[in-house]
Amino acid sequence: MELNDANLQTLTEFLRKTLDPDPAVRRPAEKFLESVEGNQNYPLLLLTMLEKSQDQVIRVCAAVTFKNYIKRNWRIVEDEPNKVSDADRTAIKANIVNLMLSSPEQIQKQLSDAISIIGREDFPQKWPDLLTEMVNRFRSGDFHIINGVLRTAHSLFKRYRHEFKSNELWTEIKLVLDTFALPLTELFKATIELCQTHATDVNALKVLFSSLTLISKLFYSLNFQDLPEFFEDNMETWMTNFHGLLTLDNKLLQTNDEEEAGLLELLKSQICDNAALYAQKYDEEFQPYLPRFVTAIWNLLVSTGQEVKYDLLVSNAIQFLASVCERPHYKHLFEDQNTLTSICEKVIVPNMEFRSADEEAFEDNSEEYIRRDLEGSDIDTRRRAACDLVRGLCKFFEGPVTAIFSGYVNSMLGEYAKSPGQNWKHKDAAIYLVTSLASKAQTQKHGITQANELVDLNEFFVNHILSDLKSPNVNEFPVLKADAIKYVMIFRSQLPKEQLLQAVPLLISHLQAESTVEHTYAAHALERLFTMRGPNNSTLITPAEMAPFTEQLLNNLFKALALPGSEENEYIMKAIMRSFSLLQDAIVPYIPTLIGQLTHKLLLVSKNPSKPHFNHYLFESLCLSVRITCKANPTTVSSFEEALFPVFTEILQNDVQEFLPYVFQVMSLLLEIHSNSIPSSYMALFPHLLQPVLWERTGNIPPLVRLLQAYLEKGGASIASSAADKIPGLLGVFQKLIASKANDHQGFYLINSIIEYMPTESITQYRKQIYILLFQRLQGSKTTKFIKSFLVFINLYCVKYGAIALQEMFDSIQPKMFGMVLEKIIIPEVQKVSGPVEKKICAVGITKILTECPSMMDTEYTKLWTPLLQALIGFFELPEDDSIPDDEHFIDIEDTPGYQTAFSQLAFAGKKEHDPIGDAVGNPKILLAQSLHKLSTACPGRVPSMLSTSLNADALQFLQGYLQAATVQLV
Amino acid sequence: MPTKNVVDARISKFKNKGKDPATLREKRISACVELRKANKDENFLKRRNISVDLSSDYISNEMVASLVIEDIIKDVNSNCRESQTRGCQAARKLLSQERNPPLKEIIDAGLLGRFVSFLSMDDEPNLQFEAAWALTNIASGTSWHTQQVVEHGAVPSFIALLASPMLHISEQAVWALGNIAGDGASYRDILIECNVVPALLARISPDTPVGYLRNLTWTLSNLCRNKNPFPPLSAVLQMLPSLIQLLHLSDKDILSDACWAISYLSDGDNERIDIVVRTGIVPRLVELMSHKEISVMTPALRSIGNIVSGSDLQTQVAVDAEVLKVIPVLMKHKKPSVQKEAAWALSNIAAGPCRQIQQLITCGLLPPLVEQLRNGDFKTQREAVWAVTNFTSGGTVEQVVHLVQSGALEAIINLLQVKDAKVILVILEAINNIFMAAEKLGETEKLSLLVEELGGLDRIEMLQNHDNELVYQAAHTLIEKYFGDGDVVGVKVESTEEAFVFKTSDVKRTFEF
Repeated sequence: MELNDANLQTLTEFLRKTLDPDPAVRRPAEKFLESVEGNQNYPLLLLTMLEKSQDQVIRVCAAVTFKNYIKRNWRIVEDEPNKVSDADRTAIKANIVNLMLSSPEQIQKQLSDAISIIGREDFPQKWPDLLTEMVNRFRSGDFHIINGVLRTAHSLFKRYRHEFKSNELWTEIKLVLDTFALPLTELFKATIELCQTHATDVNALKVLFSSLTLISKLFYSLNFQDLPEFFEDNMETWMTNFHGLLTLDNKLLQTNDEEEAGLLELLKSQICDNAALYAQKYDEEFQPYLPRFVTAIWNLLVSTGQEVKYDLLVSNAIQFLASVCERPHYKHLFEDQNTLTSICEKVIVPNMEFRSADEEAFEDNSEEYIRRDLEGSDIDTRRRAACDLVRGLCKFFEGPVTAIFSGYVNSMLGEYAKSPGQNWKHKDAAIYLVTSLASKAQTQKHGITQANELVDLNEFFVNHILSDLKSPNVNEFPVLKADAIKYVMIFRSQLPKEQLLQAVPLLISHLQAESTVEHTYAAHALERLFTMRGPNNSTLITPAEMAPFTEQLLNNLFKALALPGSEENEYIMKAIMRSFSLLQDAIVPYIPTLIGQLTHKLLLVSKNPSKPHFNHYLFESLCLSVRITCKANPTTVSSFEEALFPVFTEILQNDVQEFLPYVFQVMSLLLEIHSNSIPSSYMALFPHLLQPVLWERTGNIPPLVRLLQAYLEKGGASIASSAADKIPGLLGVFQKLIASKANDHQGFYLINSIIEYMPTESITQYRKQIYILLFQRLQGSKTTKFIKSFLVFINLYCVKYGAIALQEMFDSIQPKMFGMVLEKIIIPEVQKVSGPVEKKICAVGITKILTECPSMMDTEYTKLWTPLLQALIGFFELPEDDSIPDDEHFIDIEDTPGYQTAFSQLAFAGKKEHDPIGDAVGNPKILLAQSLHKLSTACPGRVPSMLSTSLNADALQFLQGYLQAATVQLV
Repeated sequence: MPTKNVVDARISKFKNKGKDPATLREKRISACVELRKANKDENFLKRRNISVDLSSDYISNEMVASLVIEDIIKDVNSNCRESQTRGCQAARKLLSQERNPPLKEIIDAGLLGRFVSFLSMDDEPNLQFEAAWALTNIASGTSWHTQQVVEHGAVPSFIALLASPMLHISEQAVWALGNIAGDGASYRDILIECNVVPALLARISPDTPVGYLRNLTWTLSNLCRNKNPFPPLSAVLQMLPSLIQLLHLSDKDILSDACWAISYLSDGDNERIDIVVRTGIVPRLVELMSHKEISVMTPALRSIGNIVSGSDLQTQVAVDAEVLKVIPVLMKHKKPSVQKEAAWALSNIAAGPCRQIQQLITCGLLPPLVEQLRNGDFKTQREAVWAVTNFTSGGTVEQVVHLVQSGALEAIINLLQVKDAKVILVILEAINNIFMAAEKLGETEKLSLLVEELGGLDRIEMLQNHDNELVYQAAHTLIEKYFGDGDVVGVKVESTEEAFVFKTSDVKRTFEF
């Protein structure tokens, strides 16, 4: 591609077309550009265009295209062709800085980004003169250019803030410091001087303050990894000037915008960060300056207004004070009573006030409000910062701070009492203050777990919280109502039970409040109260204590789901689930009505599942309804099936992917309730469950396997008789699952159920193939998990079909195979099997091999008899071998790329542990003793001689113990 | 663990980690590029300029005539002994001024060759002495200056001068050689090849004056100094017995330099450490860690720090010498650099097997460790965090529980807000280790609640926004693994539309497991 006018012309035309709204025009143009971008000179053509084109739009478009081109192509990836020719690379690096600095801002930004992408790859080695070129521009005196340089430098250096220390990184930083630190310092001083000479020129000031902010950001990046020698030597200059800037105000720079932070705020905020960095990491060197900064920042806080635009500055500044006041050697800066009072009064209290922005969120954006207020995503808010400062101060001054705040709380409550309608915000602030003062440790599960002993939480509850809860009009002062509910919720572990019981019916009535925040809080508070544990590990609040309120609770919860804005409110749905779980039998009379409402809800949300938590709790509630009702009367299962199957069918037909794992679990639950037969409605579905498309989704696998296991358990015979043609498909699923290291255990669950429940004759013809597949996998990719499952399977097979069948099967696949499996797999690996049922199966299976398999006694397998017995005794007596070879740690991650939907396991659809051997064998050790006894009587003398020649002494001693316990003797 | 690759970079340097018994504990990372001011305590040792009178035996600066460079050149180049001596005297006076001595000018004037030739004039001790002094001061300049002295052939002459019957001349040679040795590994090894070591050691005797011994010890220390490569083993073995002897003297300057020498020799792989440990000097070093002079205590602590970065056995020697009684004291030292060094040593002992960890508990090291995590200087906190991570990865479940009960968990959680990605990652690793211990006790849920109560959950959640990819991943994994919402748990097979095809491949092959 020549660098000529014709090509410029062509590219311009295509660039223009990429802006066309019509995809028929736009797409081919984009395709074309993509197809030519590999040509030499392409990037230079773009640069020429963005510099020289007459059309402003084309210039910007060329700049953006250029940046994206650099982003995609600049990095040289090993073993891949270099996508930008060396000539182009050199030309770009030679021109781009100049071009960036002489371009208008819009283009400058794009080129600055491009420089930092190139810099990330090439700087410093392959772009040695970049820094000097930049530094030289500082002398231009043109702040448009200087700011361009500073911005580029910032994008190059900001990675120093988060990368790990390394020789490579520090060499780069050192190089940057050598060329950049001094000019930057000179620029900093000069810029501050210019601010003074131009103190009345607002336009000049704006540019200069942008420079100062960028310089402060660069300071942060360059000082982040360690304190550089240069900055230690020049600390006086920097800190004195930073301090000066913190205390500076200039009317001209104040903005009218309430929301957007102005230049002054941005600069001061960065300076707070810089001071915090030094205070934290370079305390020894920074100590002389720190008190000055504390005073300045505190004064700054006192004089800063309530507008949103100051939020970042205020929260940064408060966080600085919070981190300093916890350090023992700065304690003295705060301990004066006047200082403390002043901080409490002028810094903390004002920042805890409920602002109009909070009020707007409470009314119009309840989700956001709840997230901040309840779930703690309030990291950058003023309230959170103020809370942190309270906690920091309490470390050394809990008594005085509590006393100061008590006075405030009382006066604010007094104000409220005078005129609640006007002064309700005072009470809100008072409650917030008490909460932040009292809470020393908190968890979602238990609320506040450690409280400030100087605050009487119960008294405050009785005197100030209960009244709001009891107020008959739930819609009056919704913020205070929400505060009161939240108080109960977070201090639930601190309040006496009788207070909580008193609160329950009040909370139930607040479920009807119109305010979304208020009824959500009520639902959440109830849900949390219901999870509290009382003595004996039972729930603190009993179903009996709930009896008087049960009907109203259920009514109000379901009514709340109909309130506008709460149609898919996860807190309410979770409260429904928790209520069901708490009330158990008491909900049975209501279920016929409630199940209709739940299925209706399910139908609605399945059209467009958007709230995963809501949906999860909805399914949990369905499971609870089924379990609780059917426990009392299993025949009611059919009525659930009648209610649910139409919706389930719709979900399956529309392939609502998010819901399939849930549906399979509920169906498993329902099917497992049936006594040993399988309704035809289920059989009709069976072929569909084998469809590969379902099994391609990871989240479906566990619930589908469980469902198929339920089919086999209840209908193994039906499948054999009426759907025998589906057996290969079923085995195909098994084959698919054992091919995956992540899912092989699920494949074994399935094959175990097939062995256990399918009539023998229906699978005889497939048995050999099954083993060949397993052996192939064993040979190709042997993992610990696979071996454990494999051992359980072959032993289960042995228990079901006998040891002879197992031996003959193996040896029919390959001569002497049985011996090889014993020697290479069973004997060395059995110690790894875990789980009580799994261990029992293996113990019984191995006992059968030892005692019911003639070829173990008189063929070349005989030499394996004692080692196998020894392994079995070790299996009984030694701790489980839970070692995993090093290279296996990451299997689950490696083997499931593109893992999208996690398997959403329903807690209340739980499956019972199944023991295929059951009571037939109580104690496997006794079984071993008895079986050995039987063997020894069949061939007298052989068993004792085998034992005495090669069984080790410890094992022999254990074995004698078993024989004694079973009261048998070997002959 | 997702943090594997990064933390392992350092973890693998700790012994017993990464399942490779041959890997070492954390060695000093001084080979790294430094951004900080060089540590003043160490650097002034490297070269010394003589700006004060050595003794009153000979002519002091005040009595020497001040000459301009031109006159000096003339004098030195003359053939008259008297002029030569006068010129040398004037030159060493100029070179002894504290500010900007004219090193370059003297070199450019071509005087070095002359000075060197004067060194061998045994019959002119004054001239010998003055020339040696002038050369010493030139060699105390930059590397380039030292190079000029060496390239003019001064080394053999100085070594010969060591044997001078005149003590002050011999001492001058010691000094000059010290400056040359301090320049770096290559000159150091040239000196060693010229047999400087036996010549130096020959001067040590019961009646060697203290002042002389100080210089000699310092020169020895420079001969032990510098890595890449280390000084030859044979030379080290020659010097060690004398260094051990010197370490039993009481002069603080001698002790200081002898300790520095040991610290250089022990700053290497385990074989190097072993040579030091086998001399039996460890108990004396531990004793010197309590020396009231900071100039002695610092290199003693450094040496022991190096030794406990060695093998379990080497560490055990220091532990048996009761180093664990001294470390807590030093962790409270008023100088943060001492605290840091002590915490570093502690972190290496914590990287040992659980019986050493147990000794660390028994000797009461946990309270000072937690105190440093809470209120220490950042550099110390960083080492203390490593100590916790090592402790949690090598300790038994009971030991980890003990650590948590001592307040370490709370302290490291607080440190999750530090502005250092690596430290954060190391803390996340420690928290993960503690969770693994809790898993063995079946108490992960309890630990999750504790971490949440201590404000850790909030912090770890916030770290999921960290710009460093590995920090983000480690935080994310912890959250996924241990802080899921209590209720929400979180080979190609042929197929047709309807089902998978169940079949075995036709390829016949023999199974062999």
